[in-house]
Amino acid sequence: MQRSRIGISLAALAAIVLVAGCGSTSSSSSGGSGGGSGGGSDPTVNIGVASTLSGVFGAYGQAGLNGIKLAANQLNASGGLLGKKVRVVTGDDQIDPATGETVTRNMILNDKVVALFGSVSSAVASAQETLSAQYRVPMFFHIANDAVLTHGSSRSYAFEFSPNTDMEPAASALAFAREIGKAPVRIATITPNYNFGLDTVKTFLADLKKDGVSYTVTNQQTPALGATSYTSNLAAILSSNPQYVFVGEYGSDLITLTKQGSGLRLFKKAKVGAMYDYDVLNALGAQAPAGAIAWDRAPFWTVNTPAMQSFVSQYKAAYGTYPNEFAIIGYTAMQGWEQAVRQSKSFDTAKVVAALSGATVPTIRGDITIRSCDHQAEVPEATGVVASTPSSQYGVRLWTNAYTAPPSQVIEPCS
Amino acid sequence: MTLDNDIITFLSAMTEASSLFVAAAGLTLVFGAMRIINLAHGSFYMYGAFLVTAIVGAAGGGRFWLALALAPLAVAGIGTVVELTVLRRVYRRDHLVQLVVTYALFLILADLALRFWGTQARSVAPPSLLSGSVSIGSSSFPVYDLFAIGAAVVVGLALWVLLQHTALGWRIRAAVEDPEMLATSGTNVPLLSTTVLAIGALLAGLAGALASPLQSISPGLDASIIVQAFIVAVIGGLGSVTGAAIGAVIISLFDTAGVLWAHSWEPAFIYLAMIVVLALRPWGLLGAPER
Amino acid sequence: MMLSTTGSTAPPDSPLLDEVRSTSAATEPRRPRTRVAVRFGGLAALVAVLALMPSTLSATSLLNVQSAIGLALFACATNLLVGYGGLVSFGQAAFYGIGAYTIALMWLHWQTSFWVGFIAAPVVGAAAALLVGLVALRTRRLYFALLTLAFSQLFYVIVLQQTGFTGGANGVFGAILPSFLVDPNHAYYFTLAVAVLALLALWKITRSPFGMTLRAIRENRERAEALGVNVFAHQLMAFVLAGLFCALAGTLFVVHDQSANPDLLAWTESGIPIFMSVIGGMYLFLGPALGALIYEQGRDVVLASFSDWQLAFGVMLLVIVLFAPQGVLGLLAGGRDAVWRRWRTLRR
Repeated sequence: MQRSRIGISLAALAAIVLVAGCGSTSSSSSGGSGGGSGGGSDPTVNIGVASTLSGVFGAYGQAGLNGIKLAANQLNASGGLLGKKVRVVTGDDQIDPATGETVTRNMILNDKVVALFGSVSSAVASAQETLSAQYRVPMFFHIANDAVLTHGSSRSYAFEFSPNTDMEPAASALAFAREIGKAPVRIATITPNYNFGLDTVKTFLADLKKDGVSYTVTNQQTPALGATSYTSNLAAILSSNPQYVFVGEYGSDLITLTKQGSGLRLFKKAKVGAMYDYDVLNALGAQAPAGAIAWDRAPFWTVNTPAMQSFVSQYKAAYGTYPNEFAIIGYTAMQGWEQAVRQSKSFDTAKVVAALSGATVPTIRGDITIRSCDHQAEVPEATGVVASTPSSQYGVRLWTNAYTAPPSQVIEPCS
Repeated sequence: MTLDNDIITFLSAMTEASSLFVAAAGLTLVFGAMRIINLAHGSFYMYGAFLVTAIVGAAGGGRFWLALALAPLAVAGIGTVVELTVLRRVYRRDHLVQLVVTYALFLILADLALRFWGTQARSVAPPSLLSGSVSIGSSSFPVYDLFAIGAAVVVGLALWVLLQHTALGWRIRAAVEDPEMLATSGTNVPLLSTTVLAIGALLAGLAGALASPLQSISPGLDASIIVQAFIVAVIGGLGSVTGAAIGAVIISLFDTAGVLWAHSWEPAFIYLAMIVVLALRPWGLLGAPER
Repeated sequence: MMLSTTGSTAPPDSPLLDEVRSTSAATEPRRPRTRVAVRFGGLAALVAVLALMPSTLSATSLLNVQSAIGLALFACATNLLVGYGGLVSFGQAAFYGIGAYTIALMWLHWQTSFWVGFIAAPVVGAAAALLVGLVALRTRRLYFALLTLAFSQLFYVIVLQQTGFTGGANGVFGAILPSFLVDPNHAYYFTLAVAVLALLALWKITRSPFGMTLRAIRENRERAEALGVNVFAHQLMAFVLAGLFCALAGTLFVVHDQSANPDLLAWTESGIPIFMSVIGGMYLFLGPALGALIYEQGRDVVLASFSDWQLAFGVMLLVIVLFAPQGVLGLLAGGRDAVWRRWRTLRR
């Protein structure tokens, strides 16, 4: 027996030493330095996309990654950035903060990334933001948009390019207010049972009051995120006879909710508003609820500039599908980073951050200003009404009555 | 609440129950007969749903009935392959080892699904025969949901007939209740195992196919259904198809109660249901102590 | 969940053999001392190697090893229930998460120092385990596993939903750690020290009469009952102890990640120490620890090298489990059975 005990201990020892040895050699730097401008013979510089690339939220992370890769490819095709090729390093955080932290840290320390693009989930994003402050790497959020990311103590090196959780409900409140007018109304809400959903409803209702709408809340439902059955929730809502229903669900959940709601005639009995973006409308096809209020962070079909149209056709050519808002915002984040690097003629974090803070960046969405107080991009949020017929150009029921709420209408003042 | 609303609420609970029942029936049958915990059951469900979208998509939006027939059969085929190659080797092993093996299968199947069908969520419309709603007083209820409830009842009856009135069913029940008798009766046990798993996979695929017009179909469906199916199977008593039916009804009623009376706590209600049932009946409602 | 006692899955150290061993030791006073010396010598060498890590490893690798050490404690504490007690609990993440959140929430709401939270965490974990165990231990085997899963999920949903108190999905972030532990080397040594001491305590527990009785219950519950053992009390005690040490492992998570998030309580997190036990070997005390190391490093390598990490991970799991029935450590210690059998025949 003593022999096997030695055997066990030695085996474990050997394993640890072996593995530790592997660990220390894998910290090779693959080109590009975090500091210093130009110089050196290394032709590449690394940027990291640590996002969710599998599971239910994989679609968002993947779309954002596609937008970023498109930007990187375009940069490289025209000679690179400051003479260096941009290489995109990816990592899957599996929507888990601890995994996200490990993946991000590895990118910072092993791949020596000079810029980071963040996660889908605000929980993971918070962990990433702490790392970006600790290791001084510029961090760009293009999907996760919790306002806490721009209020926290680690935001010095982080930039938010998406309308945040204060701005988005402000825009949807405006859209509802325009429909409702002055008469008192009955409203019900349904939203996923976690921070984003709960905060969105709270902010929406508060903003609705600020917009001068008088309402009573008849019923509120908070099913779990990722629930597969909304029929009971919707039946409960309908039994309270609301005139308007605010829906906080998005993506896959919104598709399920819409299908199940249609069967209950939800969209005939009340005016519903939700985040009907391109992916959701594309998936729903003929089941898309005509007349429903919709909002989206960056719907490409409402921006008719040559820059956007060129981006859309390039994206379609590269990926076979039209870009959703995350692809667009990821691309604009890259545009912001590129401008900051060019202006400061360096990849050095302090210079890049200083160059971008307060700057105005011309992007495919038009000119975007990055507020210096909290690094929140002053971006619009678009609202509209779901169309009843498919768009002749894109084959999907998109929007009518599109209205893009400008940043001034939705953004909270600097505190 | 008016009577119409009560009826709608009850029917929506029944729709949820019917979906859960078909999903859990295969799981509980496989466990009962083969004592194996198959986490890949959720993957089979997801594949059933995805295959429907693939067939319907290939047919330009139609052919739902064909898809409903073909998808479960295809999934049964996948299940058979899995059984012959992997599961066969772990029948005599610890439950934990079986769990890890089926979890490995779950991961592999999830990855293959990402490769085949990508990350985008998909949607399938109900067939024209079943689209639209019926009016119940001043409320409406989707026709397809009624079909789903009916389909679950049919599946339940078919399983009852299979188990009670066929030779295969006798063998399956023997495997659940009295394996020694099975061994001495000259049954080809490996063939029976493959058959039972194929049936389990078929049921999972059928559950996914039936549910496809009711929800969005995306990666992650495998993980969400397996937890619910397990809860239902365990509450009902593992190995008992009738138990799965009762468990499904209990779970959906608990969930609906949460929706009506404690909406912010609703997601916790199914776990509360499980705790309450198992605290009162530790072997599940119709389960028996494991040998 | 009764683990089969026939065939290749028989646990090597059944209480019957232990009884024989202890009586034979009585007639050979010298053997135990050399045995103990050798055993501790080997393990001391192991600890020494681990203590040297900060000077030899890169920052990321050191953090990986630190994380693996914390997870090793989590896995070994779970294995007290799973391997030694035969109680497969799929809810240990609840106590792991409770340990982490105790520190985090005490800091967040009452600005309590980390050290106070560190003492409180195992106590809270043990208390929670007592409550859960009182209900869950009424069930057996798979039902027990799934009931503990339900409790774990219940806690998860509560933490997720009570955003005002717990921070919800975003979790708790901030300067939770005292300045002493912010230094990576200090954090590493602290983790190592806590884990080693805790594992020593767990080891003592498994070797005590309590541990022996627990194993006897696992082998044959009815027989133990017939012999007058209070099975429920023993299992509850084991459950509380496992909860205590899992909560302690949760505090080490906070040292590593400086945060707490609700995913720590989900059933998927509960599966991790069980995997580690299966991969590393659940019938040997350090098996789960080795499993933790393999899992942590393996996951890192897989995530970094494969975009299809699920496929790679799944295939590797299959290979390990199908070809190393007793886990990797069991494979290595497989020689032990042969040695013991040889020894027994020589003794006769």
